[in-house]
Amino acid sequence: MAGNKQWAAPLRNVVVLLLVWEVVGRLDLIADGALPGVSEILIGLWNDRSDYPLHVWETLKASGLGFVIGNLLGVVAGIFFVLIPVSLRVFRGLNIAIFALPPIAIAPILSLTLSGLTPRVVLAALGCYFVTMTATVIGLSQSDSRAADLIRVYGGSNWLIMRMVQFRSALPSILSGFRVAAPNAVLGAILAEFGGGGRWGLGAYLLGSLGRAEPERLWGIGVVATLIAGLAYGVFALMSHRFVGASRAVTMNMSVPEKAGDGSNRPLSSILAGAMAVLLPFLFWWAFIRLLDVPAMISKTPIGVVEYLFFSPAAQSAQERLIAALWETLPITGIGLLCGLSFAFLLAISSRLFPAFLRAFMPVALVTQTMPLVALTPLLVLLLGRGTSLTLWVTISVTFFPAFVILAQGISMVPRATRELAMAYGASAGQELRIITIPASMPYLFAATRLTVPRALLGVMIAEWLATGKGLGNLLNQSRGYMDYGMIWTVAALSVILAVVFYQLVVVVERRVLLRMGMSTAE
Amino acid sequence: MDMKLSRRRFLGAAAAGAAASAMPFGSFRAMAASPFAMQASWINDAEFAGYFLGLDNGYYADEGLDMSYASGGPDVIPESTIITGRADLTLTTPDTTIKAISEQGAPFKIIGTQYQKNPIGIVSLKSNPINKPEDLVGKTLAVPPVNVISVEAMLKLNGIDKADVNIVPYAYDPTPLIKGEIDASLDFTTNVPFTISQQGAEATSFLLYDFGFTIFNDTVVVTEETLKTKRKELVGWLRASRRGWEENFVDPTVWPPKWADSWFKGTGRTIENEIYFNKAQQPLVESPNGIFSMAEDDIEACLTALGQIGINGSRDMFDTTLLEEI
Repeated sequence: MAGNKQWAAPLRNVVVLLLVWEVVGRLDLIADGALPGVSEILIGLWNDRSDYPLHVWETLKASGLGFVIGNLLGVVAGIFFVLIPVSLRVFRGLNIAIFALPPIAIAPILSLTLSGLTPRVVLAALGCYFVTMTATVIGLSQSDSRAADLIRVYGGSNWLIMRMVQFRSALPSILSGFRVAAPNAVLGAILAEFGGGGRWGLGAYLLGSLGRAEPERLWGIGVVATLIAGLAYGVFALMSHRFVGASRAVTMNMSVPEKAGDGSNRPLSSILAGAMAVLLPFLFWWAFIRLLDVPAMISKTPIGVVEYLFFSPAAQSAQERLIAALWETLPITGIGLLCGLSFAFLLAISSRLFPAFLRAFMPVALVTQTMPLVALTPLLVLLLGRGTSLTLWVTISVTFFPAFVILAQGISMVPRATRELAMAYGASAGQELRIITIPASMPYLFAATRLTVPRALLGVMIAEWLATGKGLGNLLNQSRGYMDYGMIWTVAALSVILAVVFYQLVVVVERRVLLRMGMSTAE
Repeated sequence: MDMKLSRRRFLGAAAAGAAASAMPFGSFRAMAASPFAMQASWINDAEFAGYFLGLDNGYYADEGLDMSYASGGPDVIPESTIITGRADLTLTTPDTTIKAISEQGAPFKIIGTQYQKNPIGIVSLKSNPINKPEDLVGKTLAVPPVNVISVEAMLKLNGIDKADVNIVPYAYDPTPLIKGEIDASLDFTTNVPFTISQQGAEATSFLLYDFGFTIFNDTVVVTEETLKTKRKELVGWLRASRRGWEENFVDPTVWPPKWADSWFKGTGRTIENEIYFNKAQQPLVESPNGIFSMAEDDIEACLTALGQIGINGSRDMFDTTLLEEI
């Protein structure tokens, strides 16, 4: 009975939503018909049914392979980082750099340097690695220190603690990482298919279909992509749900975490780790190019970029264009970041207050994550124009989802007993949130902020590329056309460096706040 | 596809082998077909009809070429594939190729051109027509970022201040044009008008070429290295491709339907669109001197137009001697 009730309301909401969509679409109410009705999309899917199997299979192959590789690396790396804390510091730069790589900037680089299915798999894997690695580390380091203490008291090793306490309590978090990674893998594969010139794959199909001015087809492709991602999402959401019950602490841990014991008290090794963190991404960049043996005209090493930007004949013009582009891109990125985070936070809070609303909203949210933005551009441009509001909406849609998943996870991990204590003393739902849930999920708010920073930059660049024709996104696209390889690499490198710097700023604030609150950082 | 190709190749090679054994001192080139990779500049559509036909009819095999064909896409910079050695020959836009040669010292040679006249033009709706550059003043024009300099050059050649035209990015989908969010867009005039007619509107267009921006397109480009080591193959490629294009243009409506289940399968485009494209491109590809030819006047016109946008090419970037050997 209870189960039935739990699903009746969201189901009703979804039906209402689809009905409204259908009416609005059929009557061409939105953007003069740029949004087709649900039935029109389904009819289109049916008419095109013979086209899909080969494309879907190709996308499944690439995104599935990327998903497995990226997540495997993510979990293994996450465990490694928690077992040997100093390694997290050494690899920090590389981790953030991988996360901050804007897919639209590296897709052409991957197409240049790799061939066949590889660029698609790599892009899909890159979309998974960081999310899962972070989720693993968060999960492992947020485990109940009391259980770990118990094992230590009985003489257990770090590895035993990892196996019996940390890994178990981290499972829900890891699975929620997979959940976010699934749409990322699909989108990554589709993006590489879109640009890479292959014959099959939903991205290739999308590119060929764009010129038809038939929104039904574009939405059809989006729906199929969403189904693939949604299925994967659903499986991991279900698994995560089942594990949370088994591993959540019944009471709250009141002990204050010990100060970071990873060598930060020894200044020399701390400086060394910091230096390694900065150097490692450049080392990998350099090694990538050396290993692939791509001619120097196309692939620029870090030194090549410095040369291009400061010592080449094109240096001055390159600098001017870059500074102008940055000036256009950076302010709106900051605003977009705030908007995306606030939206995610509101959603996560309402997931506690109005769970039914959230369950109805989730399918819509998923569509926004897997619907390739290039397919939505006409709709967005017709609705929002080509100015700031479009850029902000694109940025919110690119940022809110991962942030929301992390925040919702954090909120659901707050022990029920603590919440009930507040309620027992007569606190309202709002007061309880303010006193218990929000402070208790602070580590997750910061983790979400860190996740969001590079994505905000990406969102702005996508909007610039597709609609506004300004800033870094436009510069990148233009350089691709002019074979300005120096600029392609410069924009990619600069966007990563910027994202890393912002990320670091968040970390500094985070450390101070959490230390004062007696909480540990969710790395 | 592969099956069909290899069967044709086998037949071609067998025939050539028989001929060779009949003439003891004859050429052996067809006996062992040499692998030859071509990189196209976009996804499979009628723009590449001549090559599909040449492959299907075994024209490349006749020249002793074991040709592989790779389609392109937005992230595929055609010139890059010949630098990395993934392709022997590619189709490019002459502005990027010549810019790369003159500014980065790229070792490229242009050995022919598919389009005598660049099909890129300004497309607008008949209900809000833009028939000449002057009509663009005060209007919003969507242009792929890559082509912005070409448009600016055309505006300059026609005495229009680029600040008077609102240029926004064009993202492959003509919907904003059909809905009137933009007034015109820059695209292949051989292609988009069809889409617009399918949506119940009528299009009008003019070529940048006809307003002073006189450049080729889909120029056939190889590296200097390939030109040295594979000259015979390149001439063979030009000859086979010319045969393919000539056959295709005997009746441009014949071939696209035949490729519905091979070259055009699942591209997302319609066969009617390809027929429209194929018909529309005929006058832009054909030349009195033969397909791919590059007349001295036309090379001169191409260089002059590019000079207007600061791309300084020279005659020696073009090599017309292979065309003479066809």
